[in-house]
Amino acid sequence: MARAVSTRRKIGFTALAWAVGLLIFFPILWTVLTSFKTEADAVAIPPKFLFTPTLDNYATVQSRSNYGLHFMNSVILSLGSTLLALVIAIPAAWAMAFQPGRRTKDLLMWMLSTKMMPAVGVLVPIYLIFRDFGLLDTRLGLMIVLTLINLPIVIWMLFTYFREIPGEILEAARMDGASLWREIVHVLAPMAVPGIASTMLLNIILAWNEAFWTLNLTTSKAAPLTAFIASYSSPEGLFYAKLSAASTLAIAPILVLGWFSQKQLVRGLTFGAVK
Amino acid sequence: MNRSTCGLALAGALAALAGSVSAETITVATVNNGDMIRMQGLMAEFNQAHPDITVEWVTLEENVLRQRVTTDIATGGGQYDVLTIGNYEVPIWGAQGWLLGLDDMGEDYDAADLLPAVADTLTVDGTLYAAPFYGEAAMVMYRTDLAEAAGVTISEAPTWAEIADAAEKMTDKDAEIYGICLRGKAGWGENMAFLTAMSHSMGGRSFDTEWVPQYDSPEWVETLTLYLDLMSNYGPPGASSNGFNESLALFQSGKCGMWIDATVAASFVTNPDDSSVADHVGFAKFPHKDGVDNTGNWLWSWNLAIPASSTKAEAAKTFVEWATSKEYLALVAEKEGIANVPPGTRTSLYENPEYLEDAPFAAMTLEAMTAADTQNPSVQEVPYTGGQWISIPEFQAIGTAVGQQFSAAVAGSASLDQAIASAQQLAKREMTRAGYPK
Amino acid sequence: MATKASRATARLMVSPSVILLLLWMIVPLGMTIWFSLLRYNLLMPGTESFAGLENYRYFFSDPAFWPAIANTLTLVLGVLAITVGGGILLAILLDQPIFGQGIVRILVIAPFFVMPTVSALVWKNMMMNPVNGLFGWLARTFGMQPIDFFGQMPLFSIIVIVSWEWLPFATLILLTAMQSLDSEQLEAAEMDGARPLARFRHIVLPHLARAITVVILIETIFLLSIFAEILVTTNGGPGTATTNLPFLVYAQSLLQFDVGLGSAGGIFAVILANIVAIFLLRMIGKNIDA
Repeated sequence: MARAVSTRRKIGFTALAWAVGLLIFFPILWTVLTSFKTEADAVAIPPKFLFTPTLDNYATVQSRSNYGLHFMNSVILSLGSTLLALVIAIPAAWAMAFQPGRRTKDLLMWMLSTKMMPAVGVLVPIYLIFRDFGLLDTRLGLMIVLTLINLPIVIWMLFTYFREIPGEILEAARMDGASLWREIVHVLAPMAVPGIASTMLLNIILAWNEAFWTLNLTTSKAAPLTAFIASYSSPEGLFYAKLSAASTLAIAPILVLGWFSQKQLVRGLTFGAVK
Repeated sequence: MNRSTCGLALAGALAALAGSVSAETITVATVNNGDMIRMQGLMAEFNQAHPDITVEWVTLEENVLRQRVTTDIATGGGQYDVLTIGNYEVPIWGAQGWLLGLDDMGEDYDAADLLPAVADTLTVDGTLYAAPFYGEAAMVMYRTDLAEAAGVTISEAPTWAEIADAAEKMTDKDAEIYGICLRGKAGWGENMAFLTAMSHSMGGRSFDTEWVPQYDSPEWVETLTLYLDLMSNYGPPGASSNGFNESLALFQSGKCGMWIDATVAASFVTNPDDSSVADHVGFAKFPHKDGVDNTGNWLWSWNLAIPASSTKAEAAKTFVEWATSKEYLALVAEKEGIANVPPGTRTSLYENPEYLEDAPFAAMTLEAMTAADTQNPSVQEVPYTGGQWISIPEFQAIGTAVGQQFSAAVAGSASLDQAIASAQQLAKREMTRAGYPK
Repeated sequence: MATKASRATARLMVSPSVILLLLWMIVPLGMTIWFSLLRYNLLMPGTESFAGLENYRYFFSDPAFWPAIANTLTLVLGVLAITVGGGILLAILLDQPIFGQGIVRILVIAPFFVMPTVSALVWKNMMMNPVNGLFGWLARTFGMQPIDFFGQMPLFSIIVIVSWEWLPFATLILLTAMQSLDSEQLEAAEMDGARPLARFRHIVLPHLARAITVVILIETIFLLSIFAEILVTTNGGPGTATTNLPFLVYAQSLLQFDVGLGSAGGIFAVILANIVAIFLLRMIGKNIDA
C-alpha cells in the first residue's frame, strides 16, 4: 500500500519537475528551433512548432562573420584567463585556508568588493592604459582583465573548498617527515582536485560570458563570441532566425561543456554552504 | 611567484598564437545596416582589384558603434582605419582635426557628382572629411492596398491632419494592422531624430537665438500632442521600444499602414525577398503643418571617414574610394539589382533612367533630399544648423536625456506635461553645464 | 600552531593576489578620482580644466540619480527574492524521487550558461515582444491584449530576465545543500506528526541558511553591476524606469561622453559597493566562517 502511494507521488513529482524544467529551458529550446526556420516562419502567428528546417541562417551567419576566429578567441581567453587565475589564486587560497590570520575574513570580503565596482566607471582609464601599453585588441590584454575580474571569486571558491580539507591530514603527513612538496603533491592535491576542477569550470563559464570588457577592449583580432553576437543585435529588417542562429552558435559550446561537466561543477560549487 | 611568471609566459605564448598581421590589413568599423552587410558580401570583388589589402570588419549596432568609435578616436586608441560615421559627427570631428581630408581622391572618383546637399554637410572650411556611403531624407511610406480598402488617399505632400485622418481609418487592431508606425525608442538618433524633424515641420525650433531650449514652446507642445495621439491610438503595441529597425520589421511583415521614416527604407520595403508587402507601397513627402512651408529637413548620410591617426591611410583611402565610387554602385546593380544600390549619394544615379524605372521611390527620395535645407532648418530664426539633429556636440547628451522623457510619455509612464517639463529642465541643465549661451 | 616561518610563507603566497587586486583597484580608481575633478568631455579635447567638486554637484542633482538608486536596489532585491524563493522550491522539488532527475537538472541549470547579451536578446525579441513574441501570441490566444513588457512594466521585465539567468545558480547550490540534509531527521519529524510546512520551517530552512547566505552574497556581487541586459532591452528607459547606477554612469560617460561626470558617478558607485560589502560582511558574513 505504502509503495503504491509513493509511486503515485513519484509520478506526480516527476510531472511537476519536468513541467518546470521544460518551462525554464523553453527560451533556449525556442531559440534553437527558430534558428532552423526561415525568417517568415520565425515570426509566423501562431508560432510554428512543425516546419521544414533550413540551414540557411547558419550559412548566412557564417558568410557574414568569422565564427571560427571568434570561437577560438573565446576558447583561448576563457581557458587562458582561468589558468592564470588559478595559478595566482591557489597559493593564496591555500595560505588563507590553512594559515588563517585575524584579517583573513576582511581580506576576502575586500577582494569580493573589488568585483562590485561598475566596469563602465573605469572604462576610459583602462582604455587609456591599454592604449599606452599597446594592449587594445590583444588576447593578452583581455586575458589579464578577465583574470583580474574573476580572481576574487576564484580565490573565494577555492578557499571555501580547501577549508573543508581536514588539517589533521597535513599534520599527519608532516609527522611522517614528508617534505612540503610531497605533502602537496601526494596528500593534498588529490583531495583538492575536485574543488579546483569545479572552480575552473565556473570560471570558464564566467569568462566565456563576460560581455563588457570583451566588447569594449577588442575590435577584430581578439574579439570573442560576445562581440560576435553584438553584431546581430537589432539589425535592419526581419532577423529573428538569423539572430537565433548566431545565438545558438554563441552559447552551444559552453552549454555542451556545462552539461557534460555538471557533476564536477556541482561538486565544488558549494562555496562552503554545505557542511 | 615563480608560478605566476610561468602563467604569464603561458598567456603570452597563447597570445602570440593570435597570428600574423600583414601591414596591409585595415580595420573598418561599420553599422549593421542592410547596405553595409551587402557590401561585406561583395568583398571578393574588392580583393580581386586590390589583393594587397585585407579588410577586417567590425560590425556593430548603431549606438554601440558610436560609443566604441568615439571613445577610440577621442583617446587616440588607433583601433580603426576606416570609420562609419554620420553627417552629424563629420563636421564636429573634422573641425577637431580628428579626420583625414579626402580632397585628393583619384581622378575618376568625380567628387563633383556627390549630391550637393550631402557633400555640404561633410565639408568643413572647404575640405571634404568623409565620403558618403548612402544618404537619406525622410518620407511617408504607406500601404496602397490598405489605403484603398480604407477609402483614403494620401496626397503627394500631405499635411499632418491628413496623416492623422488616414492613420485612424487604416487602423484595424483586430487584424493587427496599425495605422501608423513611428519611432518611439529613446535616443538622439531614434525618436529625437523623428521628433526634431517633426517639430521643424510644425514650425517649431529646438533652441531660440539665445540657445534657450524650446521644448516647452507651443510648437513643440503641438508636435508632441499629435505624436502621442498617433502613437497611442493608431500605433503598434510596444511602440516605445521601436526604432528604425523594429519599425522596418513591422512594416515588412505587413503590420503598419503608414511609416514615416528614412527614405533608405524604401528599397527594403519594396524588395520582395525581404518584404511581404513589396507590391503595395506608396510614397509621399514628409508631412507638414497646414500653412508651414517646412518638411522637417531630415538629412542623414552614413559616411566613411579615415582617422587622422591611421597609419594605413593609403590603403584606407583606396577602400573608401572603392566603396563610395560610381563603380561600386554599378557592381551592386549588377549583382543585386539596380533598385538595391546604396541611395542618396550621387547625382548620376538619379539621372540613370534604368534606376528611375526600377526604383519607384527614387524620384521621391531625390526630391526629399534636395528639399532638405540644413542651413535653415526652421521657419523661425535659429542659431544652429541641422534638421533631425542639431549640429552641436551637446545634442547627443540632450537628445539622449530628452528622448527618454518622450519615450516614457509613449509608454504611458509619464504624462505629456510631465515629459515636457522634464525635457525642458534637462535640456536647460545640459546647456548650462556646457556654458551656453556662448 | 603556526610558526613564524609558515606565517611568512603564507603571506608570500597571498601577496601576488593582493598586489594584483590592489593595482587593479587603485590605478583605475586613482585615475577616475582625478577625472572626476576635471571638466572633461571626450568630444571636446583640449578643454580639460580643473572643476573641483562641480561634477559631483551635477551628479547628485541629476534627476536620474534617485531613480537610479531606487532601481538598483529594486533590481537586486527583486532578483534575490525570486531566485532564492524559486530556488528553494525547485531544490525541494528536485530533491524528491523523480524519473529522469539528471535530465531535469540539466534543463534547469541551462540558463546559467547563456551569455547575458544572448538571453536579453532572446527574451526581448522572441518572448516579450508584444507583436512578434510568444507572450503576445499567448495573450491574444486567450483573448487578451498583449502586454507591452518593456513599455508598461520595464523594470519587472528586466527582473524576470535576470532572475531567469540566476535561478539555476541558486537552485544548484540549494539543491546540494538539500541533499546533505539528514533524511532520517525529516522522517523522524514526519513520524512525530509534524506537518510539511512545520518540517520545512524547523528543519529544512535552518539547514539551508548557510547556502542561502552564499547565494545572496554571490548574486549581490553580480547584480549590483547588471548592465548588459538593460543596454540590450530598454536602454535605461522609458524615462529613467530601468536606469540603475551602472547604466547611469554609462549614459553619462559613454553616451554623453562626459567623462568628468561619469567618473564622479563611478566613484559614488564604488563607495556604494563598499557600503554594501561592509553591510554584507556584518549581516551575513557571520554565517560564513573564515
